[in-house]
Amino acid sequence: MDIGVHFSTLLQQIINGLSLGSVYALIAVGYSLVYSILSFSNFAHGGFLVVGGYICYGLLTMESIVVGGAVLNIPSFVNNIWIASLFALLGAGFVAVITERLAYKPIRERTSTTLYLLIASMGVSIVIENIFVIVVGGRFRALPQGTFPTTPFTFGNVTVNASDVLSLVFAVVFLGGLQFFLKKTRWGLAIRAAACDLRTAGLMGVNTSFLIGIVFFVAGLLAAVGGIFLSARYTLYPQLGGITTKAFVAAVIGGLGSLPGAVVGSLILGLAEMLTAGFISSQMRDLVVFSMLVIVLLVKPDGFFGKHISDKI
Amino acid sequence: MSALLEAKDIYVSYGAIKALQGFSLSLNESEIVSVIGANGAGKSTFMNAVMGMVTRDGGEVFLDGKKLPGKSYQIVQSGLSLVPEGRKVFTPLTVIENLEIGAFSRAAQGNISKDMKWVFSLFPRLEERKNQYAGTLSGGEQQMLAIARALMARPRVLLLDEPSLGLAPIVIRGIFAELKRINEEGVSILLVEQNAKQALLLSTRAYVLQTGRLLKEGNSKDLLADPEIKAAYLGTGEKKVK
Repeated sequence: MDIGVHFSTLLQQIINGLSLGSVYALIAVGYSLVYSILSFSNFAHGGFLVVGGYICYGLLTMESIVVGGAVLNIPSFVNNIWIASLFALLGAGFVAVITERLAYKPIRERTSTTLYLLIASMGVSIVIENIFVIVVGGRFRALPQGTFPTTPFTFGNVTVNASDVLSLVFAVVFLGGLQFFLKKTRWGLAIRAAACDLRTAGLMGVNTSFLIGIVFFVAGLLAAVGGIFLSARYTLYPQLGGITTKAFVAAVIGGLGSLPGAVVGSLILGLAEMLTAGFISSQMRDLVVFSMLVIVLLVKPDGFFGKHISDKI
Repeated sequence: MSALLEAKDIYVSYGAIKALQGFSLSLNESEIVSVIGANGAGKSTFMNAVMGMVTRDGGEVFLDGKKLPGKSYQIVQSGLSLVPEGRKVFTPLTVIENLEIGAFSRAAQGNISKDMKWVFSLFPRLEERKNQYAGTLSGGEQQMLAIARALMARPRVLLLDEPSLGLAPIVIRGIFAELKRINEEGVSILLVEQNAKQALLLSTRAYVLQTGRLLKEGNSKDLLADPEIKAAYLGTGEKKVK
């Protein structure tokens, strides 16, 4: 092999890595946002992603629906990726808010121990996964052909899949939108204040319960974007949410609770995975990912952008 | 004349510990009232109970004769604003952002820049540092910011929980002088302090709280001269006894 082949593999894997990392970033940012406000790891976050994926898949493939014995034909404009995605995003956001209201709110109103929230979130995660196993079955499903453009672009020796570029572009758009919301709006400011100190934010006249609802909606919505691109990249199945483990790792590497940290951590993770796959072996991907986690925890336990707890005293 | 703020028979407990056992207090329009007491007397608990931050076992709080709503954010909207113990400024936000969040509760967002000018006139130091992160300010400046932030809600009653905590005496005097000016501009002040002397010098009336119960109340001047208060809270009693 000459050096040129290596170089084109490198470029190609960098683009693949950024694309995968951007999907992780969508998931990790929502997870980190929830962590920054309520200080617990929401293990149900992967469930929101699966909800988004299935709503999108359902609307793309559904031709008719049976309501009380009558068969209603679904107009074909619904079988459109834009419409389906819109409903997927809203639906996952809605499920996230419902999850918070049903499972977490009663706990956080009674105790400030976040461990209970963590345990509840594990339960919710199992519930969501199994609802899908029962209702739609555990089969692997692929989004219909032609949902995303598959034409590869070729620049010299480098071939890039159009859907990879698309997921990168959409991740940038959504993360940019989140940044705009947090920096430029009144509720965005309130969320940043609450990330620093939720109780004191309440003393500023912020309705913290409503704020937590907004945060969960945003987290669910971003997870759904990730879920749609993951089901395009791989396939859709009830345990797809397990991939959030990678997003957790990314968020920890970047620094729990920090949004820029979650994005940087995700890109590092995506690149590391794809470069390992390209140059060593695809089977080594996870080994590298979790080794990185261990090393970061040993060397810099706060992650790259972690909150310094000492500042808060 | 009925009081502007009236707390009646407040009971609060943390599990088996009874933090407040029927404490009552009233504050008239444009008055400064202080609550003094030792560590653990229930002063902060009282403030948190007024602001809806802890659940009351009993008692009610009235503003202008109307019962206060239950949730903190509604209480802020109805005209109470607390400067919490330990300042609690939002350290990763800038001074301006801290002030903006202080104005969050107000429906009319139009006058924010006018109020910001007002608080900058009270604390010119904050204007010099308006684009700095709050975490980079000194303790005294953070206390100024916490007060300014609470004022951005345009409260009828400003509540302060231990504003002197952890500050140098000269800084404390500066802050208290500023509180006097704020009061002269028409804001009623309820102050909770361990630094009894400063609190009594500033306020017109005071309540002495001991293990959740009222020990004494009266004009601050009289309390300053009271031998029992002197011995217990001002640290100057022994000289007199001699």
